[in-house]
Amino acid sequence: MRIIEFEKIDSTQIFAKNLKNPKPWTVILSKKQTAGRGRIRNFWYSPKGGLYFSVILPKSKIEDLQILTILAAFIVAKTIKDNFPLEPLIKLPNDVYLNGKKIGGIITENVVGKDVKFSVMGIGLNTNIARFPKDLENMATSFKMELGKEVDNKKILKEIIERIKEQLKVIGE
Amino acid sequence: MKIKIGEKIYDIEISEEGGKVKIKVNEKEFIFGTPHQIIGGGSIARVSLPKRDFSKKEILAPIDGIISEVSVKEGDFIKKNQKVLTLSSMKMENEIVSEFEGKVKEVLAKKDQKVKKDEVLIRLI
Repeated sequence: MRIIEFEKIDSTQIFAKNLKNPKPWTVILSKKQTAGRGRIRNFWYSPKGGLYFSVILPKSKIEDLQILTILAAFIVAKTIKDNFPLEPLIKLPNDVYLNGKKIGGIITENVVGKDVKFSVMGIGLNTNIARFPKDLENMATSFKMELGKEVDNKKILKEIIERIKEQLKVIGE
Repeated sequence: MKIKIGEKIYDIEISEEGGKVKIKVNEKEFIFGTPHQIIGGGSIARVSLPKRDFSKKEILAPIDGIISEVSVKEGDFIKKNQKVLTLSSMKMENEIVSEFEGKVKEVLAKKDQKVKKDEVLIRLI
């Protein structure tokens, strides 16, 4: 797995979209984002400690990408459930909640002409964030706040990517 | 009959003979068999039409969704692969780029409009 890693970046999605020769399954990872994107310009609070990455998807049918976007929320929730004593809830189509507060979000962006020319999926997970600012504290939570300890971001990242790969293979069959 | 074009007056005589139409302009005869066929006399103006691409230059919705942004307007010249609009489908953001180069003739898609797969969003000339 090729990972391009940053200490700080505006947005892993923007960086991915500007890559000259984007190779499928390349991951752009950043310790923090200054302009983390949610869906339709929603801001994704991205301080140091969280897991923020984008993954270049192989060229696929737009219908398959649609299914994958929805499945990604299940993949994230399953990864949480399999690794931690937590009960994640999926808010369809692309948010993951813990105890009524948002813990993760997914965004897929495609460039489409006659066919899909480029596709990138961005995932943001509130992992090792100690606290949220006042305006977000009632809406967001983190693994650290729920578990009382830090988690291994790279391990979670690898597990999510492997599951996305697996699912896309199944969808494409 | 006489027709005046500019300062010049033309004597025009139109008659039918045996299914053929004869048009006489200032004593010069043009005889037509069918509307497109000149049988004899006169001069034939050959018009060669420029080659045109008649394939439709239409940008279609690749999937059902909602238009979240329209980036071009009528009269704009756009290049191939230029972004023309954003279509949001089940929380997936699709940047729609043009497959053609040309002038925007018609923008049928409006912001926040629901569209169906294969619906025409933009027409180009």
